[in-house]
Amino acid sequence: MSSAATSFDTLKATARSADPWEILGPMRRILEGKDLDYSTARILFRIVRLARKTSRAQSKNAPGAPLRLAVLAGQTSAQLAWALDLYLTASGFECELYESPFGAWRQDILNPQSGLYDFAPNVLILAPGSDAAPPPAVGASEEEVAAAIERELSGWRELWRPLAQAAIQVVQDDFVLPSLRPLGSQERNISSSPSAFYSRLNQGLRDEARGHVNIHDLDHLASWVGKRQWFDERLYHHSKQACALEAIPVYASSLAALVGALRGRSRRCLILDLDNTLWGGVIGDDGLEAIRLGQGSPEGEAFAAFQRYALSLRARGVVLAVCSKNENATARRAFEDHPDMVLRLSDIAVFVANWKDKAHNIRSIARQLELGLDAMVFVDDNPAERELVRAELPEVAVPELPEDPADYAGAIDRLRYFEAAAFTDDDTRRADYYAGNAKRAQAREASASDLEGFLAGLEMVSKIREITPLDLSRSTQLINKTNQFNLTLQRMTIAEVQQVAGDPRYLARTVRLRDRLGDNGLISVVIGRIQEDTLRLELWLMSCRVLSRGVEEALFLHLWNEAKARGLERLRGVYIPGPRNALVQDHYQHLGFTECEPDSSDPQGAKCWEFRVAAEPPQLRTFIQEEHP
Amino acid sequence: MTIDPVVVHERLEAVFRRVFDDDSIVISNEMTADDVDDWDSLEHINLIIACEREFSVRFMTAEIAGLKNVGEFEAILRTKLEI
Repeated sequence: MSSAATSFDTLKATARSADPWEILGPMRRILEGKDLDYSTARILFRIVRLARKTSRAQSKNAPGAPLRLAVLAGQTSAQLAWALDLYLTASGFECELYESPFGAWRQDILNPQSGLYDFAPNVLILAPGSDAAPPPAVGASEEEVAAAIERELSGWRELWRPLAQAAIQVVQDDFVLPSLRPLGSQERNISSSPSAFYSRLNQGLRDEARGHVNIHDLDHLASWVGKRQWFDERLYHHSKQACALEAIPVYASSLAALVGALRGRSRRCLILDLDNTLWGGVIGDDGLEAIRLGQGSPEGEAFAAFQRYALSLRARGVVLAVCSKNENATARRAFEDHPDMVLRLSDIAVFVANWKDKAHNIRSIARQLELGLDAMVFVDDNPAERELVRAELPEVAVPELPEDPADYAGAIDRLRYFEAAAFTDDDTRRADYYAGNAKRAQAREASASDLEGFLAGLEMVSKIREITPLDLSRSTQLINKTNQFNLTLQRMTIAEVQQVAGDPRYLARTVRLRDRLGDNGLISVVIGRIQEDTLRLELWLMSCRVLSRGVEEALFLHLWNEAKARGLERLRGVYIPGPRNALVQDHYQHLGFTECEPDSSDPQGAKCWEFRVAAEPPQLRTFIQEEHP
Repeated sequence: MTIDPVVVHERLEAVFRRVFDDDSIVISNEMTADDVDDWDSLEHINLIIACEREFSVRFMTAEIAGLKNVGEFEAILRTKLEI
């Protein structure tokens, strides 16, 4: 307790200092440590508030991406709201919060003049609680139950509609199945029981939730905590608390992870150590035969199970890499020759085994994958290596690893690094894209002297079209996580993208690219706003996995043709410098635009470029054939 | 294993200081919510939860709402700790 108290005093002092936001690093470590109790979370939130006050007094802005978050709860929302503020601030958002007046969340949504719409949130947390959906009487007929479910669902559709129109992204809790079971073991077998009703309603909500509504699996979270711990009847009777206050930190952290994912903050690559992380023992010393892996020992089984967990992450789009202090050949041999290895070399996008320091190697892995360090999670059983990477690369997430390999997967899973806002076809294939990229890199090396020959040999075909409903998830994902080839770094929720896609005042396009070596999927998004005679390109971004392939040239030709067909006179592009998008500072110049003065509609700090449509068609050589729908 | 009532008093004072983030708080039997800035219904629950964790006890529903002053608070704690 005393050491914890000291660290809080240090944090408090930092929060009062000239650099109050230096608290965020240590705070993240505390939040990622062991499960936080309510009172400690409260102390940490106070420190955040103190830092906020200090930085306001210094007229400085908080770091991080601005986020306007509304919390609408059927029960008491105060504790959930500050805990969300804590977790989101620690994960790099500059939060502004709104809570609906107690007991008035429905009115807040349905009244277009309400405080909610005044506040204009990006994201809305909707925590209705079971009281919002009373179950039918036990013994009700099948028809009555079905009617009650339909009544509920149509009520939710009504509530979601105005929120979609206001382009508000909704994160809605599902209903927690009660822990009291008057029907005993028959609870879920009888369709009129509360448990059966809520579980059917939850499924109905999931089936109906589209695009701008994301259902948060609160029932799972309550089970994970344990329902006897989750509920606190005393506090429900005392002040309508939806759950035990000790469950508030985990509740907020789960919601914050989902909100982060919706805003493009999920991590995307898992970097694994080998010795005593993927198998027991040190392969260089013990030899291939003596490492503990798979059948033969319970500990070996635990390592194999951890490998299966890593493989299941790969299957959903997390890129795997290896970073180990080993002889390269020895390390690879385990993957090639050990019969109980679950992970294969082909599962690993980048394999680094050498004797250099791991921070250096992780930097190089990030470069090769063209991912930011803030997309990386590094897992190593060795505390010294973890400390080194934390000190050298604070952007990389380095979870504490328990001593027992049986607990590895659980320790990583609970931190929700890879939380997803959606699961797209692209996710299932991402690992293969990276494999394809490795092959392309080899092909490029083979014909390095002849870039044009290489590009021509790829036989690339693009498909440029409007943002269709099927492309919404992937487009939004790309908009929120592309950091390098991104001209304006404008982030959007799926609801906002949907709105733009259907608006005739906008010209929105996606690009898909396939080539001889595989399908690259949807890799670029551009959004232009038509204002008088000008197409203002407000968003232009592209996945780095198709860098230097001529996609931007092909897309520009397409836009030029579109602008011409509409009788527009000008294309206008802006570049807004950000932390990692220097790559595209000359983008418009390269396409033949000339620099021009910013006007009142341009964001601050923007560099502006213009291309007159009447000028000669741009002389750009591309090796991409456009396929027309 | 019993706890010295003086220790209970000191630990309770530490809980108050932590919850209200004020190291100058000195608790006394007659002290009520009116005597402490910020001691509203929200902080009252925070106080209850912090005490439950500090002393590994559980307050009853009636006790949560019914505590009138610090003396009563401490008396209930002592009963729960069987001292």
